[in-house]
Amino acid sequence: MPKTPIEVSHGCARNNGEPYVPQVCRVIDIQEQTHDVKSFRLQTLDGKRPFACEPGQLGMFSDPPYGECMFAVAGVGEDYCEFIVKNVGFTTNHLHELSVGDEVGLRGPYGNWFPYESAKGRDMLFIGGGIGMPPVRAFLRHCLAHREDYGRIDFVYSASTYDDLVCKDDLFNVWPNEPDTHVHVSVYHAKEGDGWDGAVSYTAPYLEQVFAEEGLSTENACAVLCGGPSLFRTCRESLLKLGFAPEDIVTTLEARMKCGVGKCGRCNVGGVFICLEGPVFTEAELARMPRD
Amino acid sequence: MLLKKAKAGALLDAIAAKERLFVPADDRGTSRFVAYGAGVEPRFDLLNTKLPPKDLLFPATETLYRWSRDGADLAIDSAFAETDPFTVFGLRPCDMASVDRLDAVFLTKGYVDEFYQAKREAATFVVATCAHPGRACFCDSIAASPHEAPTADVLLEDAGEEWVVTPQTEKGASAVEAWKPYLEEGDAEPIKAACDLKVDMAAVPEKLKGMFDDPIWSDIGDQCLTCGTCTFVCPTCYCFNIDQDVREDEGKRFRCWDSCMFTDYTAMAGGHNPRASKESRVRQRFMHKLTYFNDRYDMNLCVGCGRCMRDCPAAVDISLIIDRIAASEPAQEKEAMAHA
Repeated sequence: MPKTPIEVSHGCARNNGEPYVPQVCRVIDIQEQTHDVKSFRLQTLDGKRPFACEPGQLGMFSDPPYGECMFAVAGVGEDYCEFIVKNVGFTTNHLHELSVGDEVGLRGPYGNWFPYESAKGRDMLFIGGGIGMPPVRAFLRHCLAHREDYGRIDFVYSASTYDDLVCKDDLFNVWPNEPDTHVHVSVYHAKEGDGWDGAVSYTAPYLEQVFAEEGLSTENACAVLCGGPSLFRTCRESLLKLGFAPEDIVTTLEARMKCGVGKCGRCNVGGVFICLEGPVFTEAELARMPRD
Repeated sequence: MLLKKAKAGALLDAIAAKERLFVPADDRGTSRFVAYGAGVEPRFDLLNTKLPPKDLLFPATETLYRWSRDGADLAIDSAFAETDPFTVFGLRPCDMASVDRLDAVFLTKGYVDEFYQAKREAATFVVATCAHPGRACFCDSIAASPHEAPTADVLLEDAGEEWVVTPQTEKGASAVEAWKPYLEEGDAEPIKAACDLKVDMAAVPEKLKGMFDDPIWSDIGDQCLTCGTCTFVCPTCYCFNIDQDVREDEGKRFRCWDSCMFTDYTAMAGGHNPRASKESRVRQRFMHKLTYFNDRYDMNLCVGCGRCMRDCPAAVDISLIIDRIAASEPAQEKEAMAHA
């Protein structure tokens, strides 16, 4: 039976009224993920989920008087949206100072989402690195919540050191116990006494190694990729080398964003805006876009 | 209907008595569209104002919302407000064409920008044709015509001593109805001028698609100071930043004009910047104007007003850039030659 082609829809973002004005939300939970990564659960003041969103969509998180930053929503619950934030700059530094109970701004959701409909029936190969975890996690969680819709699930995840692995509970306790779900973790640098006795490898070679060792096939598979610029480039090359068709590789991009609705101009790749038509594109689509 | 130029003042007074009116005028060493009133001398002899009229619809700085903090509590209030009707009198056709572009950006493709929409719906545009296009004008070979403005509410065709007045929209018809006491019956021959400067855009959007790595971008990058003047005087450049003004526990978030020529325009937290080089930013500006925007909205993002050429301190000339693109070999041919 021919497999359903992966179809990523673009320009499917939904108009949610005032695109620039955030709603006030409350931080209901904060988890320290690593020394510089925290996760935040946000809820409306009347105890509801701030917005319904699809896996891979974006939310603009703000903390007046500091700035506003766009993040992929890392997961949604019945009554919250979750963000995983790495402390890399001025605004994220201040987000890390938030306490449970603090009120913040949130607007969105923005952008398109992972093709979870057309990927039904496929084996799913998720690849993430460092803070590239959140969007991949959102899609992975969707697949786990609809486990019977997907084949074998593999997640190849790497970070700089053991201490930099995000969502360790999910990686080591939750996901490996899900049916036919295989989590493969590597770190780039082993540190004396950090307790890590697993693979030490960059993501792309580790991906190729896992693929061979596990006897994975590209036959009826869909690869989902998110990570920093160097991981992104090398893993795209590896996936193509392993025999994935460009149409079966799904990625999510990031760029500096201000508006979230394709107006302010800065997050374009050629003629498309990552915040509006993206952030999710297939490798086949990326190959047709300028290397902007 | 005719409007004698000598009698325009009385009409402007009548319009200004009813609603806000903006006219081209000198203003503190520059020229722009200013609110008509005491001491304002309209300059209908200016070809186009030094500063573009885009700020009437898309202010250089515009508050989006106000916030206040009280300990952990946060309050956010939208700053959106309806706009009272206003008239812009004496716009040039190139600038009207720029409004068409802003409309496409702010009112289509999924999201309607309500801040822009409120002003756009409140505006009546009265366009005066150009009898003598300037040396840097090339609207008629890129986006518009010195003697036409199809989307203007009212067209004033220059006929020397008078304008031939033609309403072109419903809004324009009701405006002209109210102007009747100041108009005269009669016919005059409008001056149908053409620009001396021409560009050949026909092949440019397609050719640019194969020119991502062309040496043209480093050549322009070497010349460009990335001062951003071109983007601020451009009537179509619409890119904006969202930033804030903080006063202790309260503040406002506003948007303001931004420029793709600036280094930090695309700089991300953590240090990655996809367009860190001048070359890449210059490429973005011209690719956006001459091919990306065309793909998205089916029109160029340049209206040939000539402002960027007149004001560039480094003599970057978009008409020469278009000439160079138009004259370049298509990418495949270049590749074939390289392999020959």
